[in-house]
Amino acid sequence: MATEKTVFDAWLAGAELPYDLLIPLLHEFGGADAVFSAWKKREEHPLFKAVPPACRKRMNETASEESLRGYRDLAQTHGIQSVTILEEAFPHCLRDLPDPPGVLFFRGNPQVLKAEKPAAMVGSRSASWNGLKAAERIAEGLSRAGVTVISGLALGIDAASHKGCLKGGSPTVAVMGGGLDKVYPPQNEGLMNDILKAGGLLISEYAPGVRPSSYHFPYRNRIISGLADAVILMEAKVRSGSMTTVGHALRQGKEVFAYPGDPVSPLSEANRLLLREGARYFTEAKDVLEDMNWLDNLSYVGQNIECSPKTVPDDPSERAVYLALEKGNLGFDELIAATGLTSSALMSTLTVMQIRKTVEILPGKRYQLVRK
Amino acid sequence: MDYALMAKALSMGVAGVNGFPVHVEVFATGGIPGMEIIGLPDASVRESRDRVSAAVINSGRQMLPRRITVNLAPADMKKEGPSFDLPIAVGVLTGMRELLPSPDYDPEDTVLFGELSLDGQVRPINGALPMVISARECGYKSVILPADNAREVACIEGMRILPASTLAQVIRHIEGTEEIVPQQQLSYGDLCQERIITADMSRIRGQQAARRALEVAAAGGHNMLMIGVPGSGKTMLARCLPGILPPMTLEESLETTRIHSISGRLAPGSGLMVIRPFSAPHHSTSVISLIGGGPNAKPGEVSLAHNGVLFLDELPEFSRSALEALRQPLEDGVVSISRIRRQAQYQSSFMLVAAMNPCPCGYFGSSTRVCRCTPNEIRKYLDRISGPLLDRIDLQIEVDAVPVKEINASVLCESSAQVALRVAAARKIQQERYRKEPFFCNAQLSNDALRRYCTMSPDAEALLSAAVEAMHLSMRAYSRILKTARTVADLDHAEIIASAHVAEAVQYRELDQKYWR
Repeated sequence: MATEKTVFDAWLAGAELPYDLLIPLLHEFGGADAVFSAWKKREEHPLFKAVPPACRKRMNETASEESLRGYRDLAQTHGIQSVTILEEAFPHCLRDLPDPPGVLFFRGNPQVLKAEKPAAMVGSRSASWNGLKAAERIAEGLSRAGVTVISGLALGIDAASHKGCLKGGSPTVAVMGGGLDKVYPPQNEGLMNDILKAGGLLISEYAPGVRPSSYHFPYRNRIISGLADAVILMEAKVRSGSMTTVGHALRQGKEVFAYPGDPVSPLSEANRLLLREGARYFTEAKDVLEDMNWLDNLSYVGQNIECSPKTVPDDPSERAVYLALEKGNLGFDELIAATGLTSSALMSTLTVMQIRKTVEILPGKRYQLVRK
Repeated sequence: MDYALMAKALSMGVAGVNGFPVHVEVFATGGIPGMEIIGLPDASVRESRDRVSAAVINSGRQMLPRRITVNLAPADMKKEGPSFDLPIAVGVLTGMRELLPSPDYDPEDTVLFGELSLDGQVRPINGALPMVISARECGYKSVILPADNAREVACIEGMRILPASTLAQVIRHIEGTEEIVPQQQLSYGDLCQERIITADMSRIRGQQAARRALEVAAAGGHNMLMIGVPGSGKTMLARCLPGILPPMTLEESLETTRIHSISGRLAPGSGLMVIRPFSAPHHSTSVISLIGGGPNAKPGEVSLAHNGVLFLDELPEFSRSALEALRQPLEDGVVSISRIRRQAQYQSSFMLVAAMNPCPCGYFGSSTRVCRCTPNEIRKYLDRISGPLLDRIDLQIEVDAVPVKEINASVLCESSAQVALRVAAARKIQQERYRKEPFFCNAQLSNDALRRYCTMSPDAEALLSAAVEAMHLSMRAYSRILKTARTVADLDHAEIIASAHVAEAVQYRELDQKYWR
């Protein structure tokens, strides 16, 4: 039974063995269940002797009937399945990693991993408003062209990328930093359910019940880049988790894309660094598709490719605001100076333009034209 | 018979914001010399006997060796404060026959109060205004009080107010040898002429959006929340509000001055308050100092802000219980405080103006500095302000920092006086419209009244529904926008709310969509 297998996989993964011990163990015994029964019988095996004491303790503690039942319950209630590196179903791209996960847990549709165009999108949790919007827009464009967007279900860029991908109609993959029974961060519970509903996949190398820890995330990032053919950096600082993903991608020989972002913002300093060092430059989903040779598919709807024709409003005050904002985003006082409107007239005009979705407001009370 | 003599004097005590008559009865007889004060006096009243003895001697009279009992009737109400010094001294002197009142002096009709210093000076006391108001209500005709309290009560009609600086002066007045010159009555209108506005809007540079929001808030009596990076001028904006609100009416001034009088917040020699109060408690304030309370059920900051502005800077830093306690005064305009010894009701109808940073570090959305807060920290920070409180704040406005070059610019902006004119006109329209209602400004409109008084033009209605749709506004935000639009239309002297008014009002809810979604 699938769940029985998952229970033993969870037991083995829960020990958090180093990969260079976990994988030989699996090969030696031919599966987690066999490892389990041998461990239970206290067989003297040279590989068992190499198990570090902390892992040994965990393996003993979780070998009880009760904790196995706990794994079974978690797997059943959340529909968690598992696959080991020995099985054919294990993603090929991950086999070739220098430090592959021995066991993978997943929820949702595993067929998604066979997608032809997997792209990872990464970036900061506290990104700028424009960064978030760009991530969503580009993910949507990629998704329309049939690209599977892979990300980490964190707040900020990750969430925006998943959302954009869902909008575009393709399934999306979230690689988590803890057990798949936990929603982390909790704010993204709705998004997680949406991903599953849309035929997407949640994936993790951590056993059910494992809490997400800070050291899990940078390590997990090798799976994000490993699953993808292209890694797209939306907005990050130089010292950040996103840059560890980029580092993994470079070691794994993946294509790295960097979004230009705001040329002076410290939030996109890593983007500038990468572009300078030769990362692929892109501003639209189309650019990524072209560079990756993914444009063969005609299903791509070119909504995001062409800039929409300029539509200067007819109303005199709206026109004045539009022309002022064409040069860049402005604060309220600057808009008054540029348009000559009174405060109350400008407020009315801005509301109308917000409703028409020609103007949007950024944090810090700055206004800008909506990019179509 | 010489050794058992009675004398009476009339005074006032204070309970809550109301005075009550206190009859000071003095009985002087033979026996071991001394003075006993009965009738639930507190420590400051009991110490009165030492002040009275010294003051009497230093006023050139003798303290005869008598056994003196002073009773403060009604005996079942607590008496507190040093204001009984003067009536006790007069009663004791009369009881000892050291003071023989002239036939013109009526001890049953002259209210006395004031603290005595040891050298016989009369010192100002707290609560003069409520005492004199209540004395008039009781039908008394004249009052002798400390000279420094005279201006405070000078606006009250129908009372002979006799300001005294020394006990000797009071003695001569009662003996009929030298009358005290009554305080000239001041008209409230004259007092208002003298008002000086310290924070003027002409000193604010830039901040066009916030200036306008301030004007709308003042015109409709709306509560207001300002969000902005540190140093963007939120406090300065708030301080300008009392100057653009319409001047207090005499009734409002009496209500407010009364509360300040019993709290001892009036400077000696000051008259009725003509500028609306601006109360700005620190964010570490306790519930009791905010709402009122303590063993004597004293008024809190919300009551000191009655008819004025309560400014809460760093709103999320206030304790949750303090913020939740604001809900009753915000809703009812009154706080009821119940303590074991005292129950009191204080009026507290104020405009709430709150200010806060957009995130714990303060720089979220700043164009010059980087915010270091995680999304979770920002959420937690904003979540400290509960929905029900937020729901009572009609206007929310983001305030951005003004660039230095603009601060130094010498362009003079509109002054408070100019803004106040427009505000007063809008208030007048509202008073006219709501003359048959129990409320007087737009902020007080209930949902029911909202339907009656806020008629929108068809395109205004269309615009509002479009805005609700496009900006994901809640039904609550809808009625808040309507209320604010009513005020914007009143500033524009329009009876029907037009689409431009609604469109402006929508801008005062933008934070709803951005921060609290």
